[in-house]
Amino acid sequence: MPVPANFEAISVGDEIPTVIKGPMSTAHIMRWSAAMENWHKIHYDWRYATEHDHLPDVLINGSWKQHVLAQLLVDWVGETGWLWKMNFQYRGMNVPGDTLTAWGRVTDKKERGAYGLVELEIGLKDQNGKEGSPGNAIVVLPRAGGPAVPYPFDPAVLG
Amino acid sequence: MAVDELINYITDEVRAIVGAQSPWVEACHPVEPSEVRRFFQALMDPNPRFWNEDYAKTTRYGGVVAPPGFPVHAFRRPADDLNDTLAAAGDPDFDGVSRSMRPGLPKIPLALSGILNGGYEYEFYSYPKVGERIRCRSTYRDIYQKQGRAGPMVLVLIEDEYATADGRPLLKSLNTMIMR
Repeated sequence: MPVPANFEAISVGDEIPTVIKGPMSTAHIMRWSAAMENWHKIHYDWRYATEHDHLPDVLINGSWKQHVLAQLLVDWVGETGWLWKMNFQYRGMNVPGDTLTAWGRVTDKKERGAYGLVELEIGLKDQNGKEGSPGNAIVVLPRAGGPAVPYPFDPAVLG
Repeated sequence: MAVDELINYITDEVRAIVGAQSPWVEACHPVEPSEVRRFFQALMDPNPRFWNEDYAKTTRYGGVVAPPGFPVHAFRRPADDLNDTLAAAGDPDFDGVSRSMRPGLPKIPLALSGILNGGYEYEFYSYPKVGERIRCRSTYRDIYQKQGRAGPMVLVLIEDEYATADGRPLLKSLNTMIMR
């Protein structure tokens, strides 16, 4: 477990600890598809994916990639902070053999009521540095000496 | 200008379903430890809050919880639904998934067969605990046309609200589906 984020110590431009997955194989894709009961053939039927849908290979599930981004942020904020908002676009395809690195960079921090808000740029790069899922996130952190972020989280606490 | 650039897909019939909202639909079974396990193992995220009851009891959740985005995948084919979703598997064009975007929402009256997932915006409020029941309500927030490089495309914005059966908000998502 990484050291939880500390609002006071965070600066704009900081990189948060990455989460790395891979190299991904067809077995990893099948394991996720089976767990989700997702029978979309582009994830396991190579002939269908390449000949019918003209894809380069079977694809790593977008549904899986989004949870890697959530893991990146939830691991960083720890049990005292809260991943409030996260968005991303599916811009690039990923295929077996890819190693994906979820990354985040602080773009802004501000105090809101008793809490600290941190905004980040996030994404999921492949082994060649190609970005496939760019997005943004906002996390809520306790301030030094301040109250814990309430759970369940209610955005009304931010005033 | 290609002919398809002139097509207006946003007909009155399409416009009429913007704002359409499904009833709250409940997942067919409560959150099960084994589906949480398969989820975090396939994600390769063995955080003890997903499986270690002793640890999870010491956290703000008070017990084992599922990963933040778990509710999005909690809606499976109920045991009493005898319509096999793979019944069309003999058709070489069958892609393995149903064309319906969300349970309880009307189908979009468009003759566009290509569907791409453009991305999501999520807002998280709490995590489902093992044993809790998850509900979802979906709304067509907007449907509009855009000119893409390969021709016109229709963007469908779907809001999904997830909550526990006793009304505790879990998360909200805004999904952009691209039809072309």
